[in-house]
Amino acid sequence: MMEFIGPAAGLLFTLQNILWINLGVFIGSVFAAIPGLSVILCVILFLPVTYRLSAIPGMMFLLGIYCAGGYGGSVSAILINTPGTPHAAATMLDGHPLSKKGRTKAALKIALYASTFGGVFSAIMLLFLGPQVAQIASQLGTAEYFMVCLFGLTIIAGVSGKSMIKGIIAACIGLLISCIGSDPMTSYDRYTFGIPRLYLGLDLAICLIGLFALVEIMSRAEDKKEALHVDTKKMLDDGTLTPDEKKRIRLPIFISSLIGVMVGIIPGTGASEASWFSYNTAKNMSKHKEEFGHGSVEGIAAAEAANNAVTGATLIPLLTLGIPGDGTVAIMLSALMINGLNPGLSLFTTDGDIMYAIMLGLILVNLFMLLQGKLLTRLFAKVVLIPKEILTPIIVIFCFAGAYSVNKNYFDVGVTLIFAVIAWILRKFDMPAVPILLGMVLGKMTETNFRRALFISDGNPKIFFSSVYCLIFLGLIILAVAAIIRGKMVEKKAANKGK
Amino acid sequence: MKALIERLDARLDAIGERLAKKDFVVPVDLTAGILFFLFGVFVLAVTPAQVTISDKDVVNGRVFPVMLMVLMMICCVFLIGKEVYRMVRKQPLTIKTINLLVEVKALIIFCILLVSFLICKYTERFVIGAVFCCLGFLVYFRCKKPAYYAITVALAVAIWMAFRYLLKVNF
Repeated sequence: MMEFIGPAAGLLFTLQNILWINLGVFIGSVFAAIPGLSVILCVILFLPVTYRLSAIPGMMFLLGIYCAGGYGGSVSAILINTPGTPHAAATMLDGHPLSKKGRTKAALKIALYASTFGGVFSAIMLLFLGPQVAQIASQLGTAEYFMVCLFGLTIIAGVSGKSMIKGIIAACIGLLISCIGSDPMTSYDRYTFGIPRLYLGLDLAICLIGLFALVEIMSRAEDKKEALHVDTKKMLDDGTLTPDEKKRIRLPIFISSLIGVMVGIIPGTGASEASWFSYNTAKNMSKHKEEFGHGSVEGIAAAEAANNAVTGATLIPLLTLGIPGDGTVAIMLSALMINGLNPGLSLFTTDGDIMYAIMLGLILVNLFMLLQGKLLTRLFAKVVLIPKEILTPIIVIFCFAGAYSVNKNYFDVGVTLIFAVIAWILRKFDMPAVPILLGMVLGKMTETNFRRALFISDGNPKIFFSSVYCLIFLGLIILAVAAIIRGKMVEKKAANKGK
Repeated sequence: MKALIERLDARLDAIGERLAKKDFVVPVDLTAGILFFLFGVFVLAVTPAQVTISDKDVVNGRVFPVMLMVLMMICCVFLIGKEVYRMVRKQPLTIKTINLLVEVKALIIFCILLVSFLICKYTERFVIGAVFCCLGFLVYFRCKKPAYYAITVALAVAIWMAFRYLLKVNF
């Protein structure tokens, strides 16, 4: 590891990288601060921009958006009692009450420091755990890789949305979309319907713009007329925390960072789960339980540390196994792969200098997030007020420009529109979109490993149960399915009791 | 002009109120199950024509998509079976209420997107489509602030210029 740190630092500390990090952090904070705009939407919109950049600045830019999105969501949660992103919902429970007590700056300060600690902690974990997991991943063969893909898809299909069956259907659709284009093993075309442009398959970014971004625009049809009010002049407190408060937030921040890392490593789970889990843990551990829900500093710290501690951890399965920890990092995989960087041990050996630069960069991203948070919070607060009349067409223009710029073709813009309609219909059927995304990301890898394994075994499916790793992953799949079904049953029972 | 806009607004509000009252109840799981089952059948039907294979392949290019569609259809059967069971037991089905106003508004938004795309494509000038998109959405939101029109159009041109001159996307 140490042999890569020096060259990696040299690659990382360039003016270009610093600028891209700061641009990413700024855009991420702004997007996440606006209710209704998500981090995943922001990453999708700006993904085509990274196609023109090399691996390090491209990844730094996207990681800047991703990490700052974790903090940005808390700004509107604290100021206007509306979480900018879903994972800031737990922050809102105590952030807004504290703000109402006239301590807006203090609440924002706790959120910022907790987010930064969680993010840096997570980045350090990635730095140390990443190469170790990659070592194990290098021992996996094609059959084992297929089981890993199956494990990732099972969890994601299970936890996204209310119904596991609908999650599996959505994952199947995503996997089928990945089959469009040339066969990865024989190069014969599949499902192209005589359209030559489909021979190369559908670009991930183009599909996602329709699936996640344009459908959000169409969902403006569901908006009710409402006006947001925030008076930044009211942020008059000096943001000072008492020594007792400083002492009280230390342990929740640390514990929540640990929880965030553990949750982040598991594919399919994400910042929302981590922040709620940490919030409840902090509440149970606190000596001031009565303050929770009424402006508890521990509550804000726990939720924010956890949702940012997920950021580095989600990259561990992504960089080592190619299994994204959540939907947002799944998109980042294409930014890596377009630069010829494929997940696995080679990332930490052959391309070690680039990979370590990215991992060290994640620490830097969090530090710049702290800096921008300290200097620009008032601006982020004002951003909450950007009217949707201005924002909506601007997002559409970004979507169209992004889709066109991938292959410089209007055909792709048309494809995004088709995917927007598909996503709208899927929404009507309560079908989750994240399993489709994961299916598309993992499709080629899943199919190639499945077919290669059967090719090796001369068509004998016993190969999928032939090694210890295969059996471990099979056990994990069964365990995950059982846990998901049990969870859904408990949820259903609770809902019935509520009725 | 002002009076005309006010009359138009009042008329649109009246239409909106009428549409908002029209709800459709859809048995969502049953419909999804049937629809995706039929989709699976369609994919299986077109697969032989759409996926060329060689006799030499141990596992050919049809195996994986066929496997996926079979899995999807099994899930659909589960969904349909669950709802049919509820029907037989006279339990309430999983339903979703679809509001006509929301769907009409979504259709209008989609039309703005589609026309913007067609303008971009056939004029081969992205900026023209972008400006139309801005104006279309501002009219959709019934925005009456001239400043918003100016800001949005200026931003649209700025985004086009950023892509055109900084990212070298020639459109």
